[in-house]
Amino acid sequence: MIGVISYLVFFSTVAAILAIAVLGLNLQWGNTGLFNGGVVASFGAGAYGTLLLGGSAQAGHLGGYELAYPVALLGGLIFAGVLAWVIGVLTLRLRHDYLAIATFGVAVAFENLMRNATWLAGGAQGLRGFERPLRQTLGDGFLYNVAFFAFVLALLVLTYVFLERLTASPFGRMLRAIREDETAARSLGKSPSRARLVAFVTGSVIIGLSGALYATFYAFVSPQDILPILTFQIWAMLIVGGAGNNRGAMFGAFLIWGAWSVSGWALARFAPVEAQLFTGSIQFILIGAVIVGMLLWRPQGLFPERLIVSQPGDFSTTKP
Amino acid sequence: MKKILLTTLLAAGYLALPSGASAQDCTTKIGAVLPTSVDWGRPIAETAQFAVDQVNEAGGAAGCKIDMVLRDTQVDPKVGVDAAKALVDLDGVDVLLGAVSSGVSMPILTSVTVPGDVMQMSCCSSSTAFTKLAEEGKTDGLWFRTFATTAVQSAMGAKIARDKGYKSIAILYKNDDWGQDMARLLAADFKAAGVDVTASVAINDGQPSYRAEVTEALASQPEALYLALYPNEGSSAVREWLSLGGTQDMILANSLKSDEFRDKVGLQYLGKALGTDTASPRVASADAFVEAYKKRFDSEPNGPGLANSYDAAMIALLAMEAAGADASGAEIAAAVPKVTDPKGTPITADTAGFASAKDVLAGGGTVMYQGATGNVRFDKNGDVSAPAVIWSFTEDGIKEDEYVSLEQVDQFIASLK
Repeated sequence: MIGVISYLVFFSTVAAILAIAVLGLNLQWGNTGLFNGGVVASFGAGAYGTLLLGGSAQAGHLGGYELAYPVALLGGLIFAGVLAWVIGVLTLRLRHDYLAIATFGVAVAFENLMRNATWLAGGAQGLRGFERPLRQTLGDGFLYNVAFFAFVLALLVLTYVFLERLTASPFGRMLRAIREDETAARSLGKSPSRARLVAFVTGSVIIGLSGALYATFYAFVSPQDILPILTFQIWAMLIVGGAGNNRGAMFGAFLIWGAWSVSGWALARFAPVEAQLFTGSIQFILIGAVIVGMLLWRPQGLFPERLIVSQPGDFSTTKP
Repeated sequence: MKKILLTTLLAAGYLALPSGASAQDCTTKIGAVLPTSVDWGRPIAETAQFAVDQVNEAGGAAGCKIDMVLRDTQVDPKVGVDAAKALVDLDGVDVLLGAVSSGVSMPILTSVTVPGDVMQMSCCSSSTAFTKLAEEGKTDGLWFRTFATTAVQSAMGAKIARDKGYKSIAILYKNDDWGQDMARLLAADFKAAGVDVTASVAINDGQPSYRAEVTEALASQPEALYLALYPNEGSSAVREWLSLGGTQDMILANSLKSDEFRDKVGLQYLGKALGTDTASPRVASADAFVEAYKKRFDSEPNGPGLANSYDAAMIALLAMEAAGADASGAEIAAAVPKVTDPKGTPITADTAGFASAKDVLAGGGTVMYQGATGNVRFDKNGDVSAPAVIWSFTEDGIKEDEYVSLEQVDQFIASLK
C-alpha cells in the first residue's frame, strides 16, 4: 500500500511540474494566441540555469557556483525570461505558423547548443545537479518526495491563482482582444506588440519554473530532456485539457501524463508475454489515437474556455 | 443431482489449476527499463528475457521463479524514470536492469534507485559521468554496468596507431554522449602514444551530407582517420572522405563492426581499416552463449549490447541467488563480488552454469562468472574492463587480427598514463 502511495506522490509531482509548463503555454496560446513551438527552450533554460547556478563544482564545464537553492531557482527563471525576451523581440512580429516555426527553430538550436557546448554545461553527457535541497533533514525516501510534492503543488497553485487574476484583469482582457482581432485592439489605443511580448515572456518564465523544478527533482538534466517531443507532449496536454482555460490546462497535464504512465504500466502487466516487447509501440498508438479523437470530436478540449464579460457595464444608467 | 454437479465443478476447477504449481510457487519480480520501442532496443530486452528464462529453467534464483517486468523508456528520460519508479513502488523490485541511454540511466539512478535502495545494472550506458558519480560516493554501491567503459576502446585505438606507426590522425565522432566521451579519451590516449591529433570533428545524425565536416578533417592532412561513428552516418562520412582523396588508413570503433557498413562503403576501400572491440574471453562459456543464442533466436548475437545485456541479467540474478531470499537491493549489490570472484569456481553462462553456481553458493563458496563479455569483474565504481580484439573486414564477414587479453589491456592502459 505504501508503495502505491509512494508512486502516486512521485507521479503527481511530475504531473504537477508539467502542469506548470502547460499553464505557461496556456497564457501564450490560450489567452494571447501566440503559437509557441519552442516550449522546450524555456523549459531547458530554467532547468540548465538552475543547475548551473546551484550545482556543485564539476570539472570541464561552467557551473558549480553552489548558490542557495532559492537564488539558483530565481536565476533559472531570470535566464528563461531573458532568453524569451530576446526571442520575443526578434520573432513576435511573426504570425501563427511562422512564429511556430521560428520558435521551434530556437528550441532546436538551444538543444544543439547544450549538446555541443561541452565547456558550457557538459554537452551530451548532461549536467549533474546538486544535492536535492533539504535532503539532510528529510532523508532520501518517501518523506522527501512528499515534501517536494507539497512544494511543487504550492507553486502550481500560486501560478494558477496568478494567471486567473491576470486573465480576469484588464490586461487579460487586452490579451484576448489581441488574440481575437489585433487591428481592433490597436484602434482602441492598445499596443499589441508590447502586450504580446509581456505575455510571451511571462509564459516563458512560468515554463522555465517548470523546467527548474524538473531538474531539481531529477538532480540531472541532459539534452535528452529537451528534445522536441516535450514540446509536443505539453501541447497535447493543453489541447486535450482545453486551451484558454487554466483548470483545463492543469487537468490536461495530469490526464495525458497519467495516460502515458498508466498505459505503460497496464500493458506491462496485462499484455501477454509475446506482446510485451511491443508495448512501447502500442502505447504510442493509443496516445496518438486519444489526441486525434479529441481533435476530431472535441476540439475545444475537455474544459472549454469560458468567455465571460469580465466587467458587465450597467447599461440601464447609460443614457443614449 | 446436485452432488454430481458439485463434484463435476470441483473436478473442473481442479483441472483448471496450473499444472506447474508445485514446490516452487513463489515468484520474485525484477524490473527492466529498456527502449523497446526502438529497433535496436528490442533485441537487448529479448536477450535479458532469455537470461531470465535460462535461470528459471535452473529453478529460479533465491528459491523463487523470476518474473522480469519489462517497461519501455521510449528513450525519454521522463518516461524511463516514471517506469522505473512504478517498478520499484508498485511491483516492489529490488533489482533494476537498464537503461540503455546514459541520459535515461542517470536520472533513474539519482532519483529512483539510489534513494530507493535498489540495485541498478545497465547493459549499455557508457558515459564517464557514472564513474565520476561513483567516485564521489553518490551511487551507494548500487550501480553497475557490464558495458566496458569507452576507455578500453580508446586505448586500443591508440595501440593500433602506435603499432602501425601513424604520426598523425584525425577523429570523426558521433555527436552524442558516447562520441563526445570517445573524442576526449582518444585525444588524450593518442597524445600519450605519441600520435598527433590534427582534427577532431563532431558528426551529427541524419545529415544528407558530411562534406563540411570531412573537409575540415581532411584539411588538417592526417596520416590516418579514426571513426567513432555508427554505421549509418559512418558510411556516408567515409564515402565522402574517400571520394575527396582521404587516406584508407582507418581505425574503427566497435560500433562500425557491421556488415551494413562494409557493404555501403565497399570492401575494396576497407582493406587497410582496422577495428577494435571488447572481446569474449577464450573460454568455452562465451561460445556456449553464442550457441545458445543461435538456437534461441536463429541468428548470430551481432547487435549492439546483446552480450552485455545477457551478462547484466545473469550477474544480477546470480547476485540475488548469493544474497538469499528477501534480500534488499543493497544486500544484492553487496553480493555481486561473490559471483564475480576471480578466485571462485568458474561457471558457464547458461542453465547448467547457473545450477552449478547455486550449489557452490549454497555451500558458502564463491563463483567466477564467465559470461558472454568475458570474466566480468567490476571495479569499485561498478565499471568493467574487458579483453579486446583487433579486427578487419573480409569477404564474408569479420576476421580477428589480434587478441589482447585483459592483462595486456590493463597493462597498455597503465602505460598510457
